[in-house]
Amino acid sequence: MKNRIQHYIKMAVVALVVFSVYACSKEAEDMNDLNTTLFVRHKKADMPAYIHGNASEKVFLIILHGGPGGTGMQYRVNTIKTEIEKNNAVVYFDQRGCGNSQGSYSEADLTVDLMAEDVLALVKVLKTKYGNDSRFFLMGHSWGGTLGPATLLKNQDEFLGWIDVDGSHSPKDMYFDYKDVLKKVADEQIAANNSIKHWEGVLDLVKNIGNVYSDEEFFKMNKKAHNSEDILAKDKVINESKVTGEEYSNFNPLKLLWTANQTVSILTKKGLYKDISYTNQLHNITIPSLVLWGKHDIIVPTIGALEAFDNLGSDDKELFIFEKSAHSPMFSEPELFAKKVIEFINTHK
Amino acid sequence: MKKYNIIFLFIIALNLQAQSKKNESSFLNRTEFKVGYFGNMIWDNGLNIGVEYKWKEHIKRKENRRNKKVILSQLLVHGNIDYTTNFSTETDNGASTYFGAIWRRTNTKGKQFSLELNPIGYYRSFLPETYKVEGNRVTKVSLPGRSYYAPSLAIGIGKYRKGKTRSAWYLNLRYTLRTPYNAGIMPTIALEYGYRFNLKNKH
Repeated sequence: MKNRIQHYIKMAVVALVVFSVYACSKEAEDMNDLNTTLFVRHKKADMPAYIHGNASEKVFLIILHGGPGGTGMQYRVNTIKTEIEKNNAVVYFDQRGCGNSQGSYSEADLTVDLMAEDVLALVKVLKTKYGNDSRFFLMGHSWGGTLGPATLLKNQDEFLGWIDVDGSHSPKDMYFDYKDVLKKVADEQIAANNSIKHWEGVLDLVKNIGNVYSDEEFFKMNKKAHNSEDILAKDKVINESKVTGEEYSNFNPLKLLWTANQTVSILTKKGLYKDISYTNQLHNITIPSLVLWGKHDIIVPTIGALEAFDNLGSDDKELFIFEKSAHSPMFSEPELFAKKVIEFINTHK
Repeated sequence: MKKYNIIFLFIIALNLQAQSKKNESSFLNRTEFKVGYFGNMIWDNGLNIGVEYKWKEHIKRKENRRNKKVILSQLLVHGNIDYTTNFSTETDNGASTYFGAIWRRTNTKGKQFSLELNPIGYYRSFLPETYKVEGNRVTKVSLPGRSYYAPSLAIGIGKYRKGKTRSAWYLNLRYTLRTPYNAGIMPTIALEYGYRFNLKNKH
């Protein structure tokens, strides 16, 4: 029996060695097809950047995920993975307090300002690793459209271009935009005889929303906006979201959800949806800009597209509306999305 | 990162060597070693080894016409070390150690139920290539990772094998808090399945 115990112990040690070697094994980097995970340590946070794709020209597209509380890798799907990564490297970054980021800091260290500094810290790390001749484009989706302007207003010289995808450059306007847009879309859909029960529920909700901002009512409308986009897809007003090639499920979703909830809660408490707006500062962003928006976006209402386009200070800017999309054209019209992004990057790289 | 694992394995090896030494004192009678799986079965998987020392024991006997019941209640202290990794990502490697008390009830048939409280716990994450940014200065971090205080609770079942060297199997559900994690705490849930060994037993 003692021999058996020794045998078990040996097996355990061998298994540990295999686990360790497997966990730490690393292939040499191929700049034509990067597949690297590194962490950025900045102001008490460790944040992962997953870097994939063709870095032969040292052109990197940094994606700022939505949420707040999303994760970078949720965008490594569809044509971002199959087309954009072939054109240039893509950096999927988990922001402070999001995804697989970790660290030990206080609530005071979770601010939009510091999160924007984190993005600039990421650029410094990428330059250290891949050389000072590396070039960067910044893309922000949804909440990433809040963080993007916050980053560019600190230092836009690091970037060759800004891609705003259904981005909320003015979270404080969303409460009032929701009231208008939810009512407008509900009226249109009832007139078109689509999912009447759902849209009547939307009208009931909006009717009872007050004229003074409240977190509780904001999130009720936000939730309804998400549900409503599913209904639009069901009624074929927009394309169904398509997600192929995802690796997102490799990450522990319980951990991601927990961190997301904590981060949303802290940023909301600090007035994200009540006080923050970059609309009046967008004119200071002068790098080439591409504004991409879904025509039927309710989550960050489409009215924001024109506002972003009009206020951006760049002489070289373009607005493109996806006719069959709502909040996430990279999932609902992926081919066209990749075409627009690649065109923009190749024009300005 | 590899250096880190070599150090970790060295500590494990020392620990195992210590465990394998024969000791005829009563300490060994009261001590069991355990080895088992540790993880959530899907994303994070690893190994756990530990040692339990029987601190107090109470035997309750019940007898009626048909049955004779012997209920054994034990209070044990224990210490453990584990290592888990996510094979698909480089973001979830870590080792932890925890110490605390176990209350365990064993019925006549050897079926066991246990509750654990571990107020002393430590989790260390192991990160891949990491760069620290301070102002315009970027430096590569050696042995990157973070340390967290990680107390835990567990509930478990098992089966005792009287007189056997492989003295029991166990299945525990463990709830651990890592703190401070980001701007708050991080709860984790893990399963443990393995065997306990009493080296004093002969079979």
